[in-house]
Amino acid sequence: MITTGRPRHRRSRGRLLAGLVSWLVPLAGSVDATAADATMADPRGLEVFTAHLRPLLAHRCGGCHGAGTVESEFDLSTRDTLLAGGAGGPAVVPGSAVTSRMYRLAARLEEPHMPEEGDPLTEEELGWLAEWINRGAPYDRPLIDDADRGPWTDRRIAPEARDSWAFRPLAAVEPPRPADPLGWCRNPIDRFILVALERVALAPSPEAPAHTLRRRLAFDLTGLPATAAEIAAFTADPSAGGYERMVDDLLARPAFGERWAQHWLDVARFAESFGYEQDYDRPHAFHYRDFVIKAFNDDLPYDTFVRWQIAGDELAPDTLEAWKATGFLAAGAFPTQLTEKEFESARYGELDDMIGTVGTAILGMTIGCARCHDHKFDPIPQADYYRLAATFTTTIRANVDVHVDPGRHRADIAAWQARLDAATAARDAYERDELPGKRAAWAAAWAPPPAATGPSWQLGTLVRATSQSGGSFVPLADGSLLVAGEPADRDVYTFEIDTPLETVAALRLDALADPSLPRGGPGRSGHGNFALSNLTVAWAPIPAPGAAAAKPTPIRLTAARADFSQTQPDLAVAYAIDGDAGSSWAIDPKVGVSHAATFDFAEPVRHTGGARLTVKLEFMNNSRHAIGRPRLAFSQEPAGAVDAVTPERDPVDALASDRARVTQLLALPESRRTPETEQDLVRLHRRFDAGWQSLDAAVGRIAAERPTPDLVKVLAASENVPHIPHHADGRGYPHFYAQTHFLRRGDPGAKEGVAEPAVLQVLTRHPDGIARWRRPAPADAKTSHRRAALARWITDVDDGAGALAARVIVNRLWQHHFGEGLVATPSDFGRQGEAPSHPELLEWLAGELVRGGWRLKPIHRLIVTSAAYRQSSDADSAREAVDPHNRLVWRFNRRRLEGEAIRDTFLSLAGALDPALYGRAGRDESTPRRSLYLEMKRSRLPAFLRTFDSPDTISGLARRPVTTTAPQALTIMNAPAVRGWARGFAARVAADASTAPAPAAGSGPPDDATRVITTAYRTAVGRGPTMDELADARAFLAAQTAAHAADGGDVAAAAALADFCQVLMGLNETLHIE
Amino acid sequence: MSASTDHVPPPSTSLPRRELLRRAGGGFGMLGLAGLLHDEAAAGPALPDAPLAPRPGHFPARAKSVIWLFINGGPSHVDTFDHKPALAAHDGEPLPEFDKNTGFFAGAVGGLMPSPFEFRRHGASGAWVSSLFPHLARHVDRMAFIKSCWTDSNNHAPALLKINTGIARMGYPCTGSWVTYGLGSENRDLPGFVVMYDTKGRGLPKGYATNWSAGFLPGVFQGTGIDTAGTPIPNLARDQALSAAQQRAQFDLAARLNGRHHAAAGDDAALQARIESFELAYRMQMAAPEALDLASETRETHDLYGLDDPTCGHFAKQCLIARRLVERGVRFIQIYSGGEENQRSWDGHADILGNHSGFAAETDRPIAALLEDLARRGLLDETLVIWGGEFGRLPIAQKGAKPGRDHNPHAFTVWMAGGGTRPGVTHGATDEFGFKAVTDRVSVNDLHATILHLLGMDHRRLTYRFNGRDFRLTDVAGTVVAPVVA
Repeated sequence: MITTGRPRHRRSRGRLLAGLVSWLVPLAGSVDATAADATMADPRGLEVFTAHLRPLLAHRCGGCHGAGTVESEFDLSTRDTLLAGGAGGPAVVPGSAVTSRMYRLAARLEEPHMPEEGDPLTEEELGWLAEWINRGAPYDRPLIDDADRGPWTDRRIAPEARDSWAFRPLAAVEPPRPADPLGWCRNPIDRFILVALERVALAPSPEAPAHTLRRRLAFDLTGLPATAAEIAAFTADPSAGGYERMVDDLLARPAFGERWAQHWLDVARFAESFGYEQDYDRPHAFHYRDFVIKAFNDDLPYDTFVRWQIAGDELAPDTLEAWKATGFLAAGAFPTQLTEKEFESARYGELDDMIGTVGTAILGMTIGCARCHDHKFDPIPQADYYRLAATFTTTIRANVDVHVDPGRHRADIAAWQARLDAATAARDAYERDELPGKRAAWAAAWAPPPAATGPSWQLGTLVRATSQSGGSFVPLADGSLLVAGEPADRDVYTFEIDTPLETVAALRLDALADPSLPRGGPGRSGHGNFALSNLTVAWAPIPAPGAAAAKPTPIRLTAARADFSQTQPDLAVAYAIDGDAGSSWAIDPKVGVSHAATFDFAEPVRHTGGARLTVKLEFMNNSRHAIGRPRLAFSQEPAGAVDAVTPERDPVDALASDRARVTQLLALPESRRTPETEQDLVRLHRRFDAGWQSLDAAVGRIAAERPTPDLVKVLAASENVPHIPHHADGRGYPHFYAQTHFLRRGDPGAKEGVAEPAVLQVLTRHPDGIARWRRPAPADAKTSHRRAALARWITDVDDGAGALAARVIVNRLWQHHFGEGLVATPSDFGRQGEAPSHPELLEWLAGELVRGGWRLKPIHRLIVTSAAYRQSSDADSAREAVDPHNRLVWRFNRRRLEGEAIRDTFLSLAGALDPALYGRAGRDESTPRRSLYLEMKRSRLPAFLRTFDSPDTISGLARRPVTTTAPQALTIMNAPAVRGWARGFAARVAADASTAPAPAAGSGPPDDATRVITTAYRTAVGRGPTMDELADARAFLAAQTAAHAADGGDVAAAAALADFCQVLMGLNETLHIE
Repeated sequence: MSASTDHVPPPSTSLPRRELLRRAGGGFGMLGLAGLLHDEAAAGPALPDAPLAPRPGHFPARAKSVIWLFINGGPSHVDTFDHKPALAAHDGEPLPEFDKNTGFFAGAVGGLMPSPFEFRRHGASGAWVSSLFPHLARHVDRMAFIKSCWTDSNNHAPALLKINTGIARMGYPCTGSWVTYGLGSENRDLPGFVVMYDTKGRGLPKGYATNWSAGFLPGVFQGTGIDTAGTPIPNLARDQALSAAQQRAQFDLAARLNGRHHAAAGDDAALQARIESFELAYRMQMAAPEALDLASETRETHDLYGLDDPTCGHFAKQCLIARRLVERGVRFIQIYSGGEENQRSWDGHADILGNHSGFAAETDRPIAALLEDLARRGLLDETLVIWGGEFGRLPIAQKGAKPGRDHNPHAFTVWMAGGGTRPGVTHGATDEFGFKAVTDRVSVNDLHATILHLLGMDHRRLTYRFNGRDFRLTDVAGTVVAPVVA
């Protein structure tokens, strides 16, 4: 019982060992140190060794005492290590078998008896062993040809290692010609199946009933039950091609991609959190799941599907789905709290997760086994492991903003640039061609303005404007600045403004409405609000041209006033000058209109020649709450009441200082005018020319309308991207190291040189190795393009791993359709795995996939339209006697639905299923969305699904265990959610029953109970009840209704029906694909 | 016989009681039980339909059940059982050749710090116990101390994974899962592997339920967390709107309909097992609340454990439940003392005196009572009790207002009692300061090999094939610590 996890046809250890010793070859030119012994040894002893001991030791002992594994520190791979003995002392006394520990244990004279596994050595074998020891235990060469033969990091595999059925190129296979007297075969698959059955004189099972087939197909292809109406329509349609039409219909449904995505997510160890102690969420991880769903629904060619998951960012950087695909590499668990001593091993562990999952999911190979030693069973030297890992050296997990449609964005930018260029050209042409002719008339008509009355707000000259988040400012004609760029969560604006005023006593901040802002502004938040957490001012003299600016002196502000402040605590304008970033001035709900605030200087600034004021606006306490169009103005007098800007009136005279300057310039006598003053006049003329102003405003508007890209944040694996911040950053975790090293025993403390990226030797048939698949990276590449080469190799059918990748995926399809793969170990196609039950069929299907452009839907269609697939699942003792495990596919395998399908079925029966595609459903298991969308948080995986054997998401899982446990039954009988779904199911049944056709079973006119029971049966299992079932159900409903009534239940019949429906939901027939 | 056996029934009557309890509910669906016990070896790589059916180990077992008192957060060996007088002699001096990255806080490294607790010898074995454990000190002659344990990681989560699963990464089955996978459980009406954790609002151990995960083993072998303060087992209670008789009618209808289907489909063991799983579920609804109900325990037992003592009552309840579960044949039980980390567990970074005093006061009396109670009922011989955490603590001070001790992966103490262990022995030793295990070092793999050995299993032969490899709890290492085996 203890080894139930082993495949039943486990090979003998001896055969495995034979594999181990055969795939390694010595490097040319190396010296065999023990060869010298051979020449001096007893020739008869050597003969015994060569003929008998070498195979015996290799097959029976070397697995535990060979170069890869050395139990009890005893290694018999060379004569030296043999003589050195192990933890139990010397093993061999040359010349004296009877006193040699090795002989005594093997002869069972002492414990522990050896070999530990399998039968004892035969008398004959013991005889050879004794003779060999007695003759001095000579070796002709080491038992395993790698010891002492050059560095392990250079190890080459034997060319014949590539000849295993799994590693060979795809063979051309013709479907065989079975006798098939009954004309059973429907397509080529059946010819392979039938030939194998005929070989053992087995006949296939009869075809399953139509309602069973319809139900089977629905679960198999969509993971959802067929409705009673669908089953009725199918069973009533005897026309040729009806089955195929139904298959095509199901393959075209979005639910198909959802169903098959789940199978792939299992092998991809998909989850949405880091795991380990903090188990931080990965809120952008769900995009990977969406990618898989869409890929299967769109029938994305499987080779592209694979390549994008390894290097989508490099191979198709403009394709959002390709970026999403790299979530495959990023999906592994990772510890987010690390100590310095764990940094390197954690990173090597992460690389191991990536290549281990690539190996099992795509190649069906257990590459991870070669982390600490050469793979014991498959031709993967440990060095190959590190070279493969080196491909991912700089690959890290990141949340990347990806363009939804970069092509469209580029086009939008080009169109915008053209508009901007045209508007600029129009303005400049006007300035060049029209304006000079108007200047004389304008100057002649100039009337100096009347003296100002009351407080006057004046603009200054903007010297510099910066935004901490990198936003830019577009100056508008009224002196305001329209902020452009993606709004940041937090921002600080800094403005330096020169004012000619020699006394400055107050500052005015306008927050202006603008049609380009959300809801008209004035804030940049989604609802138009802003939150000014702090405003500070400092001043310095205006520096002379070329001179350095003096350090500004802070100005204390008092008397904050605003036209309006939000009424909640902490949002009045005074909080903008309290020095606390946690409080602010905000204006909700009065959005869409301009607002203004004024602040008096505690001490007015007085300085001859004006002042340079540095004003800082901080937006720190609410995300994206910066002002979208600010304007600053100054006054010689303290401010009074605050008027905001309205469409009718602007309290700030934007032109005041310009007007004064024009008056001043025009008053100059001709003799004092210089080219500079003339230039100044031209500039000022533009300010007062309505035509120029309007053209310039158009330029400003367009400049502010630069298209923002449509970006999606995606959890990706890429290079040269910002890592995801987490706990370990606090201690300086580097997230990756510049190089990957060969690690002896997998120990980061035992580095043996730098590993350069390469691919597995056993799956490479080109002399150039990885160079065969390298392409020059584009000039603007941000990544190494090492993964791109790996991706090409892994799908290259001729020279790379493509043939194996094709075999592995068609086997997975077969497995999920039939419940068992042609290769029963779907993620282990190596020597430890099982040989294919129908090798030629596997080869032919893989070939069909490649010939069909790697499209999976045609393979699905081929499989489910075969006669093999359409067989009944009923047991048959005669056939079972010949093939108890149905490896020859003489029937369909009945199998329990997965947890997801069970939950989705319950939702469907209750009429509650929400068919929305994509996204995430959150953690609440009572959601009506398909189970696939439940959030996979590693520490809190959905309990319902886990109860029904869903994977733990740490390593890829190709084949879920199917357990039968009491907690599953408790879930079905007691879970509040299931009880609720049962009530929903009952309500639907009650409604449908009133319009249901009369059931076939029963004598006499159907009564209500019969109608209800029949409807419930048809909905749950796709058929009406038998007479016996009907009788049982009627008795139950009657008794249960009475019991509920006796309990005082006022809706006893409905409650009883719900109890009945719940029983139907939990029936074996409901929970199994028949 | 120990001194305090006045109220104790003689062992001869206690054993049948255990058998009786194991058969609880057996009158119901005994027909089903036979089917569940069938050997699944013929069913190939698929899992047994009755994965929790009891099955023999590799050789006759000493222990049938395990109660692992998980002293969560890293209890300080030098303040509990590993007496180091040299710390007083070198008070405040730097620890020679100390790597400041050994613990978690490299910036708070202090000098050697004597234990604030007084050590005394106890029992015939003369074992050292600090003043933290006045009750436990009376039971040292039942314990086998291993004072030379060491582990890989200086960080809670990986160290917890290591001590629970043998590997310091996620994804591997924990010891309780391996044991139930290997042996099944003696009581089919209760979960085979039960975990109880802090009920004082201090959280779960770091890594949460990963610590009792089945990893790549089927989910049926994962630990069932029992919240001894709230709803103990998910979905155990039937809908309030349904009477027991009404639900029984549902079960009966399901059995009839499934029986018809089974007969028509031919003999399918999986279908039969599912029919029986419903009967089991029905019985579990009765058996689990009964097992967790302490009302039938005597006043004397309540007092022995300290159930009414506000300091230790919560842990006492869990210890007493553990005894009741063992009586009923539950295979593997873990009780976590303390919650997440720092002051919420034995993770005494600050104020080792206050921290350890508090958690010792919560556990000392209940654990002593558990040993006493198991012994007087004749259960200690077949119940392996383990006391220990994920690592030890450094002999130097972690600087702070009230000095604490930082993590120490190089040395910690575990004791075992009952279940075929050799009572009154001490195995292995640390250096003079208790910094590193130096004599007869015991790895986590060795501990696991020993636990499996006491349960009748060879750690090298308890394997599970996953992704092409035969995995073991002890990976590629592990040696049974023979001196602690009786």
